Amino acid sequence: MTYQASDRKRFVFTRREFLWCLSGGIFLGLGGHQLIRYTTRQQADVFIAKAADYRIDLGRIISQGLHELGISPQEIRGKRILLKPNLVEVSSGHAHINTHPLVIRGAIEAFLRLGAAAVFVGEGPAHVTDTFMVVEETGLGDVLFEDKIRFVDLNYDDLFDLTNQTGFNTLSRLTFPATLKKVDWIVSVAKMKTHHWAGVTLSMKNLFGVMPGSVYGWPKNVLHYRGISQSIVDINTTLRPHFAIVDGITGMQGDGPIMGDPIHPGVLVMGRSLPAVDATCCRIMGVDPHKIDYLRVAAKHLGTIVESDIHQRGEMINGVYTPFTLAPKT
Amino acid sequence: MEPAAFPLKTILDRHLPNGGFCEHPGGAYRTDSTAWAVLCLKAYNLYPEVVSSARQVLCKAQLPDGNIPLTPDYPEAYWPTAIAAMALADTPEFSSYHEKTINFLLNSKGNIFEKEADSPVGHDTTIEGWSWIQGTHSWVEPTAMAIRALCVAGEPYHERTIQGVLLLLDRQLPNGGWNYGNTTVYGKTLKPIPTSSGIALWALAGLPARDKVEMSIKYLSEQLPLLRTPNSIAWAILGLRAWGITTQKSDELISASLQQQGRYSPYGTSQLSVLLAAAICKRQGFCL
Repeated sequence: MTYQASDRKRFVFTRREFLWCLSGGIFLGLGGHQLIRYTTRQQADVFIAKAADYRIDLGRIISQGLHELGISPQEIRGKRILLKPNLVEVSSGHAHINTHPLVIRGAIEAFLRLGAAAVFVGEGPAHVTDTFMVVEETGLGDVLFEDKIRFVDLNYDDLFDLTNQTGFNTLSRLTFPATLKKVDWIVSVAKMKTHHWAGVTLSMKNLFGVMPGSVYGWPKNVLHYRGISQSIVDINTTLRPHFAIVDGITGMQGDGPIMGDPIHPGVLVMGRSLPAVDATCCRIMGVDPHKIDYLRVAAKHLGTIVESDIHQRGEMINGVYTPFTLAPKT
Repeated sequence: MEPAAFPLKTILDRHLPNGGFCEHPGGAYRTDSTAWAVLCLKAYNLYPEVVSSARQVLCKAQLPDGNIPLTPDYPEAYWPTAIAAMALADTPEFSSYHEKTINFLLNSKGNIFEKEADSPVGHDTTIEGWSWIQGTHSWVEPTAMAIRALCVAGEPYHERTIQGVLLLLDRQLPNGGWNYGNTTVYGKTLKPIPTSSGIALWALAGLPARDKVEMSIKYLSEQLPLLRTPNSIAWAILGLRAWGITTQKSDELISASLQQQGRYSPYGTSQLSVLLAAAICKRQGFCL
């Protein structure tokens, strides 16, 4: 993949509009300036699907979402895809902590159906040095074995550095697992949860899990010291993940990301723009995304969180609105 | 065939031309992989020339202050120094390097701070232990590794060792066991993790009175038969063994775990090394 080369900010400002503005510049005068501002506002598409439980055909739903979002076989064919779930702690029987393995299976099926050359799953849990234990206890191990999908323990991978593109956490460079350099697409497959320090943890916060514990510790204390929200933005601006899928079939409310209670919004939310996906999830959860620090800052660097600039596809927010009890101190 | 022959070959396949070890096939040098491979091969008393070359690489990787970090590119990731110290112990040829690692550990500490009245965390944040990474807070596993390295070096009564023991006892969960190092957050007690619990018990062997860790021994004894993954099994066996507890099921668990290798990913050199060390621990009474 090419880091930083692909700026995926989407603008509605077409060439025709530009020429029109140019030719009418004198006529428009100062008003033209306002028009340009209006037409260059960032836009994003987000797909919301109802999914009552994990037993339904999630691969079909995710495929439909990819189609609705304009992701074609031509775009995916031959690409190596890394799915990054949110695996936090062991949780047998607790579907509200980690990304459900059947959502991962659905994403695997959807990307392979579009012609991906390979799909990998990688995670670097923040609290547990035995990553395989979390993989096994969550049931993901059985899915990966049955589907013949390779897993990468991102905490113990080889390493490479990138210049921190926004530097909010004051680290000049960020260290990533080498696997990220070997894939074409990074897909954050997150969980819909509250978080007692970040407010919410969705597709952008999920990327904390790519930061190797061998360099950032267990928990990833270096990033806590440097600021959680600042680090979330830095990781995302530097890495530029390609797609997000949020497992909101069963989510977590209250004292997330571990000790909260289950809640059942019954949704999958997905899109190319991670800030837009997270902002939409917030609205489903009854949270104002403009009050989430990392989203407010991300909006200036990665894409819109403004509701009117996000084109909702599939279900509308009102139809799946499920207010979450917030974590203490948020 | 020697039960460990195949996995030992897997470890040897990761021996790099420079003498060190990588964590995964085709990977780069890492201090933790190298040190654990040394400790494993030393436990089996096999391949002395490989052990010697790996130790030389650890010495070459040592920084002037004694730190042997994860790789030379990440000096702040100092946590492998404790493992390297154990790998260099008891070898006259490397005694000066070993001494420097111990001095480094004695001079390194995790951040401490006074808690605010409304702090969300329950543990005592003023006890000095060891962090994973320089400039951050102390956590259970790096503190346990440093305690063990100091004990191996003949420093069980050093003030830093005693502080480390106090930290581990403070971070022990009310119903037994340890996790990465938070006991309660916003008033809720967190769950124990087998790996962290095994490492803490292994490090504390013979230091506090048994009744101080009895609940954790009980927790880990109950967990062991349920474990499936190499790190958890190995550290549970080593942690319990350190307190005189052995189980007939250990061999079965280790074999089952080895058979699972490659199910969706190869095991890392560090995990395999500790697992194989745990396997021979039972037969030879050796506990790293």
